Amino acid sequence: MGIVIGPRVIDAGTSLLSVLISPVRVAAGYPSPAQDYFDGRIDLNEHLIKDITSTYVVRVSGDSMEGAGISDGDELIVNRALDPKDGSVVIAVLDGELTIKRLRITASGVVLQADNPRYPDIRVPDLSDLVIWGVATRCLHHV
Amino acid sequence: MSDARAPDTGRRIALVDVNCFYASAERAFDPSLEGRPLVVLSNNDGCAVTRSPEAKALGIPVGEPWFKIAPRVKEWGLVARSSNYELYGDISSRVMELLGRYSAWLEVYSIDEAFLGVKGTPDELLQLGHTIKAAVRRNVGVPVCVGIANTKTLAKLANKWAKNNPGLNGVCHWDAMPAQAREALMRRLSVIELWGVAGRLTKRLNGLGIHSILDLANADPVRIRERFSVVLMRTVLELQGTPCIPMEEERIGRDQLIFSRSFSTPITTAADLRQVMSVYAQQASARLAKHGLQAKVLNAFAGTSHYNPLDTSYPTVTVTLPLPTADPVLLTKASHALLPRLQEGIKYVRAGIMVTDLRPSGRQAPLPVFANPHEERGIGTLLEDISRKYGRGSVGLGHAGIRGGPDWSMERSMLSPRYTTNWDELPLVRAA
Repeated sequence: MGIVIGPRVIDAGTSLLSVLISPVRVAAGYPSPAQDYFDGRIDLNEHLIKDITSTYVVRVSGDSMEGAGISDGDELIVNRALDPKDGSVVIAVLDGELTIKRLRITASGVVLQADNPRYPDIRVPDLSDLVIWGVATRCLHHV
Repeated sequence: MSDARAPDTGRRIALVDVNCFYASAERAFDPSLEGRPLVVLSNNDGCAVTRSPEAKALGIPVGEPWFKIAPRVKEWGLVARSSNYELYGDISSRVMELLGRYSAWLEVYSIDEAFLGVKGTPDELLQLGHTIKAAVRRNVGVPVCVGIANTKTLAKLANKWAKNNPGLNGVCHWDAMPAQAREALMRRLSVIELWGVAGRLTKRLNGLGIHSILDLANADPVRIRERFSVVLMRTVLELQGTPCIPMEEERIGRDQLIFSRSFSTPITTAADLRQVMSVYAQQASARLAKHGLQAKVLNAFAGTSHYNPLDTSYPTVTVTLPLPTADPVLLTKASHALLPRLQEGIKYVRAGIMVTDLRPSGRQAPLPVFANPHEERGIGTLLEDISRKYGRGSVGLGHAGIRGGPDWSMERSMLSPRYTTNWDELPLVRAA
């Protein structure tokens, strides 16, 4: 094993996070037939999180993004490291609050849109006037 | 100041630390705090442990009791927050993991600072410093400053200068500063400003006519060793440009405890790392018990070697403990949360744990059986003793930590949500 320190491990019982384990071999019998096919359970982190340092989960409060299928109470996966593009659903800082909008970058300027006709567009002179907190990549919609 | 005898290989040390860490972590999720004076209070909302630049500008000293600040909150437009260690622990581990991508040599020094081994010309390293600063800001959401130099002591000093000199934009490379500027800075700063120089030492140094950092840098290292200690001699040598402060393995900070170590033989499997983590957890437990403290948050981390820049991996994890505890079993369990993050087959040469959110256990230290954790050879015996006494996997130890914890009585009336570690407290985004 070759570690400088080789102590006895205290049995800490089951780990706080369950570690992926394959089905156990039966001690005195045949191996489990599933053994060879078991690659581990689906790990949502692996599929939904591109970069663990820059990804946060936030919760939506309000109905202004209904048109995008994002409802009140839904959770969003937000990646801060992505560059916002035209059409991105972004978390922008508006009046000191984290606010979800669709970003439109057009020749005539930058617009923050709601996906709900009841809310007006917000025009921004320039992208640099805007603090984009992160770009939403997934919506965990409650069905 | 640099040692002319040593060939310059371009190897340098960068100290990266988060500006006003606790305050910056709060601001990352609450933009309304931007630009306002903000203080973060110690456990039980006792006193200000972190002040935003605006709060510093109001003349609030560090450690100012909350009862003195409270009456002027309105007048100042000041916001106070209780310490949210779950949040700070998670932000810290994100920063460290990100820093690990920029250097194959990373030493987590405290919850908000790390030393990185870097290599390059002054221009390249300044560039790297700015890249790191921008990446941490963008990915994690907190501001950092970077100090680069030939030694840890000078890297600390360069970092301080980067913080206090807005013209540098948060990055200072000691070698890129003109010699006169370095001397002027060292002449202006008192020795007490120096990393590792305590207040009482300052008086004795002053007695010998050593007042400024420059005075100390010009002192004779041998004489300093004779009059003081080998530790201070190292500081002198480091100021003169000779690296000689080694990695430290155990550090007790204001509100955190770190155990980390490099291995002579790399660890490549989760099973082996599990053992190492267990040892650190035991050490942390013993240390906490000795000081009558309990911890609520644990960070575990591991890293690869700088000699092997191809396979770098710096996994980290933050675990909120179910209760404030010094219990070895709970801490061990928590440290094992790192294991699923390992890449099997990669050679890890360093690992450690950090416990934060420390508070008094409110009872007599329950584990006198633990002895000095410095004696690493004694640990195996200790653990055997414990298992013999309490049985394998005994819950008796656990109860000692769980019962009577003072958590319920802890005053944290201005606590922000645990934005990143609790599903019920996620940041809210306004859809309106």
